[in-house]
Amino acid sequence: MKQFQYVRAASQQDALAAIAKPGTKIIAGGTNLVDLMKRGVTAPDKLVDITHLPLKGIAATKTGLHIGTLALNSVVSENSLVLAKQPLLAMALKAGASPQLRNMATVGGNMMQRTRCSYFYDTTMPCNKREPGTGCGAMEGYNRMHAIFGASGQCIAVHPSDMCVGLAALDAVVIVTGKKGERRIPMTEFHRLPGDHPENDNHLAPGELIIGVEIPDNNFAKNSYYLKVRDRQSYAFALVSVAAALDISGGLIKQARLAMGGVAHKPWRLFEAEKSLIGKPATEDSFKNAAQIAMQGAKAYEYNAFKLRLAPASITEALKHAAGAV
Amino acid sequence: METKTSYGDIPGLKRVDGHLKVTGSIRYAAEHPSPGLVYGAIVSSTIAKGAIAAVDSKAAESSPGVVAVISYQNAIKVPGYGEHDLKTFNENKIYFNGQPIALVIANTFERAKYAASLVKVKYNNEAHQTSLDANLQNTYKPFGDDSDYHRGEANAYQNAPVKIEAEYHTPIHVHNAMEPFAVTAFWDGDKVTVYTKAQAIKSMQHDIMTMFKLPVENVQVYSKVIGGAFGSGSPLWPYAKAALIGAKMTGKPVKVVIDREQMFTMVGYRSPAMQKIGMGASADGKLIGITHEATGETATYQQFGEGITDTTKFLYECPNVDTHYKLTRLDLSVPTYTRGPGETTGVFALESAIDELAHAINMDPIEFRKKNYAERDPEENLPWSSKYLDECYTQGAAHFGWDKRQQKPGSVMQDGWMVGYGLGCGAYGAGRAPCTVHAKLGANGMLLLQSASADMGPGTATVMVKIASEIIDIPVENISFELGSSALPNAPGEYGSITTSSVGSAVYDACTALKEKFNQVTGTASDKPDYVKILNDHNLPFIEVTHSSARSEEANKYSAHAYVAHFVEAHVHPATGEVKIKKVVSAVDGGKIINPITARSQIIGGVVWGIGMSLMEEGVLDHRYGKYVNSNLGDYHLATHADVPQVEVVFIDKKDPVTNPMGSKGIGEVAIVGFAAAVANAVFNATGKRVRDLPITPDKIV
Amino acid sequence: MEDKNANFVSGAPGEEPEIDLGPKDNSRRTFLKQSALITAVALAPAPAVKAAEMHFDERVAEAFEKMPLKMEVNGVAKSLMVEPRSTLLDILREQLDLTGTKKGCDYGQCGACTVHVDGHRVNACLTLGIMVNGKKVTTIEGLAKGEVLHPMQEAFLKHDGFQCGYCTPGQIMSAVACIREGHANTEMEIREYMSGNICRCGAYPNIVNAIQEVKGGGFVV
Repeated sequence: MKQFQYVRAASQQDALAAIAKPGTKIIAGGTNLVDLMKRGVTAPDKLVDITHLPLKGIAATKTGLHIGTLALNSVVSENSLVLAKQPLLAMALKAGASPQLRNMATVGGNMMQRTRCSYFYDTTMPCNKREPGTGCGAMEGYNRMHAIFGASGQCIAVHPSDMCVGLAALDAVVIVTGKKGERRIPMTEFHRLPGDHPENDNHLAPGELIIGVEIPDNNFAKNSYYLKVRDRQSYAFALVSVAAALDISGGLIKQARLAMGGVAHKPWRLFEAEKSLIGKPATEDSFKNAAQIAMQGAKAYEYNAFKLRLAPASITEALKHAAGAV
Repeated sequence: METKTSYGDIPGLKRVDGHLKVTGSIRYAAEHPSPGLVYGAIVSSTIAKGAIAAVDSKAAESSPGVVAVISYQNAIKVPGYGEHDLKTFNENKIYFNGQPIALVIANTFERAKYAASLVKVKYNNEAHQTSLDANLQNTYKPFGDDSDYHRGEANAYQNAPVKIEAEYHTPIHVHNAMEPFAVTAFWDGDKVTVYTKAQAIKSMQHDIMTMFKLPVENVQVYSKVIGGAFGSGSPLWPYAKAALIGAKMTGKPVKVVIDREQMFTMVGYRSPAMQKIGMGASADGKLIGITHEATGETATYQQFGEGITDTTKFLYECPNVDTHYKLTRLDLSVPTYTRGPGETTGVFALESAIDELAHAINMDPIEFRKKNYAERDPEENLPWSSKYLDECYTQGAAHFGWDKRQQKPGSVMQDGWMVGYGLGCGAYGAGRAPCTVHAKLGANGMLLLQSASADMGPGTATVMVKIASEIIDIPVENISFELGSSALPNAPGEYGSITTSSVGSAVYDACTALKEKFNQVTGTASDKPDYVKILNDHNLPFIEVTHSSARSEEANKYSAHAYVAHFVEAHVHPATGEVKIKKVVSAVDGGKIINPITARSQIIGGVVWGIGMSLMEEGVLDHRYGKYVNSNLGDYHLATHADVPQVEVVFIDKKDPVTNPMGSKGIGEVAIVGFAAAVANAVFNATGKRVRDLPITPDKIV
Repeated sequence: MEDKNANFVSGAPGEEPEIDLGPKDNSRRTFLKQSALITAVALAPAPAVKAAEMHFDERVAEAFEKMPLKMEVNGVAKSLMVEPRSTLLDILREQLDLTGTKKGCDYGQCGACTVHVDGHRVNACLTLGIMVNGKKVTTIEGLAKGEVLHPMQEAFLKHDGFQCGYCTPGQIMSAVACIREGHANTEMEIREYMSGNICRCGAYPNIVNAIQEVKGGGFVV
């Protein structure tokens, strides 16, 4: 790892001033950044430790739930407000990483984590995300874990987070701050598709800092589920994951939320599939129909064609669980 | 100190080094502090074939704390490299991606590691081949005529009333012991002291002597504890040679620890294999013929071959058997012994095929196996030393509840999961090698036993203390067993399931001889001499013996193996294709079990390896670069807690009259053999889907 | 240089403010090194130049690269100078000779390095040592009370919860945390909440039994 300077930010303003300088990165949990620095994927000149900023709180607001950017993944997953109001988020968090990593990782850091694509991590391989213009190693390579939605000719990596899939389904809003003040970005628009600039994972502008996330109140607590399919039963990234939330009244679906992980460069919200469920009975037929709609536009590569079968099956399964039918 | 435990009620002697391990105070290879210690970081090749044109080490050399950068450009000439050695730092050729090509030595770990990233290498590339699948036609017979075996007619299965033909594929498996390989070495003139992990300490010492043309007294190797090895810990690997060269050139104690990525390319792996089995039987289930072909891979610079087809020759009574073993040479590092080497790979295919044929005949898989039970070794035409595989079937089935198995696949659903039962059996040779033990009983009542054995986890010293205590009949607290130094009397390496049989026999014999010596002093023939009194009465500080033991001539008249029958209940999700192992019963014929508590752990360990092999382990190469794309523990999945249920181990526990004086048969290797087939067979029973290509990941089910 | 920013505090509050070499710290170091070289050439005969240069470079590097780290390890106050890039794991193993905490993967993928920081289990391999400033670290060496083993250590011995022993310290630290967190209520829950600790020897069922016994035995962990 390259030597770097370390400073501890005493206030939000300090942190913003520091990250305005090139070569400076924020560190909080460090569970991904330290890993990337060890492998030489990133080599900042300076790290700004923000873990002492007062951004850890979890509180109910008039319209929803606010979670500070520095709240630990483990803390959020066990918080009584989260469990009562947004159990889907708790489920998604518990499906990710390991207890030790969840004790270190923060909400903001989870959003900012990079893809786990092998070609991105291996500095001897081509990767447009790590080094624009070098090509995509995965496109013609081992792409079993890769995207089936929204990929570009430059990059077919997926975002690895579980938490963000849950947040995307729950209409969460990311609150960021910068020199121009605060702005709010819907979770579904926080991460971006790779397009011609896969080096950019998200729409956070240079010099901006995530300060928290808000989840609007909803009626999904009773009928939500996070399904994660992986190669071992814990401590592995998703082949496919599904966040499903239903508002069911009199056997009919009033509202539905669906998002997938492991399939795109961002948490993949399934708006059309959600629409198809409204007013329908909460039955397997409705779910299968929604799953079919969700798969429109999917495209597989040499090693991930199974996702074209696994993804719709997982959507149906997650909806069955959410509806309490399993 | 016989102990009973409340959970599982497992008797036996608790590990004599357990206290050191649970307190973190035992020292592994990288944990020996040394004044003036410097750290070495290995630079690996980034191409698969060709030659180094130039190494630019300027930036690394001027990086803070760097002591030396060593490569073929400036390394000392190693006098004793052999023809098939990778001539680390003495040639510029590249044989595989991830080959050690330079060593950066600095005064801290962080500085060495960073400076290593600054070494720039220019290559002259050549086209490489790293795919077994693409080179199945480009093979040779590794053992000449012995690569093939015939009994009766070749391909006789083809004319059988019921037959199956199938291809099975197993991927690269990487040992991935938790402890990264490490060497701490320092030279004093022409003498070198090395701390490392060595399954075979005497052969490690010999390899270092050969490398530097040194006499035996100049090479001292210590390997007091090993953080797992599973077959990877025997050779003097190139990274270790790099450390020895680095220590010699700098004159400082050098510590080299390879990282997890380097564990994939520098310390061996299990060869992948493509296997074809044809198997035929009569309509009532008598085997008529088995044809088993296997192709594996090796390196261009060195051959490693293994007995993939060996078990097929003797596990069942069958008049016509032909087997064929081939290798292809690829631009990869050399494979090596990996838990249950050969057998693990071959028996996955054999025991899957047995299940396929039993299904084709519509016969219960246990009945089918019993019907073709080999009462003597059909390959060697010898009687078994002992064989209780039939009792493994019976007792295992009873403990497991095999009678609830449905013959028709896909018949059982439980909580939305498809449920299946599977059986896979295995055998592994019960060998024994010569061993010498020094035993010394002092006037303080303490017995010290010494032999250059190793312990990579099974509990070598614990078992030796137990054996000694039963002969000498003094409390186990008064006995210690010293291993892990090349200065100790000769012992074989800890591999091939021979340690208890070899070292244990020598301990048994040495202790018997020691007792005899006490009796000689008193002129009596006591079963339990009062050792301390005798020493005091005769004014002796101690009595000692050095005793060598080996396999008896009589043993050559028998064929000796340990056996296992693994019973598995698998649950398969119909939508997501996930497979969960819900129940395991492993019934084991390991002769007389010396220490049940540690023996049980060995079997469980094999089962956990088997769960990994069957469901998730796979080393993946991108053949364009000849490089691993999952050389880390996040992408190469080892089974973790959530994947492993309680495992019931049933020991038949009957003495083998031939193998050794204790009547034991080694069990470390057999523990994994056959398990992957049991899982594949259970998945078939659950779903009707036959997966012949490991691992059985969700994508292969949906 | 612009960032003698009073709002920035390096190390613990009350420590010395940071020394900022600026974004081009490499050129600064090169400059210092060149200065040293010139001085050395002026003062010493040629063969000594390299050694003198390196020696001075070392001192320069140390002054600018190391930072004070104060932490409590197993109840003992430690005051060190560390490079910011040094992980807690490497500091424990290489500087404090507390080798009970193991390096298995170095990327947070195996759990062998599990320690408690302020009572919570974390992966020491992904924890920068400097970020532990002012905190309390407990390693496997700090679990027993003198000669008296922690109940979890006793349970691992009793249930044979290990073979090679290399992942064992991490397993034990994780197991203790698993109970303290309240995640040891059922066998399934234990398995899920212990899944961040890989054991290649495969002692999992024995480890789960050990945890169940400690949990069921009402021991204070």
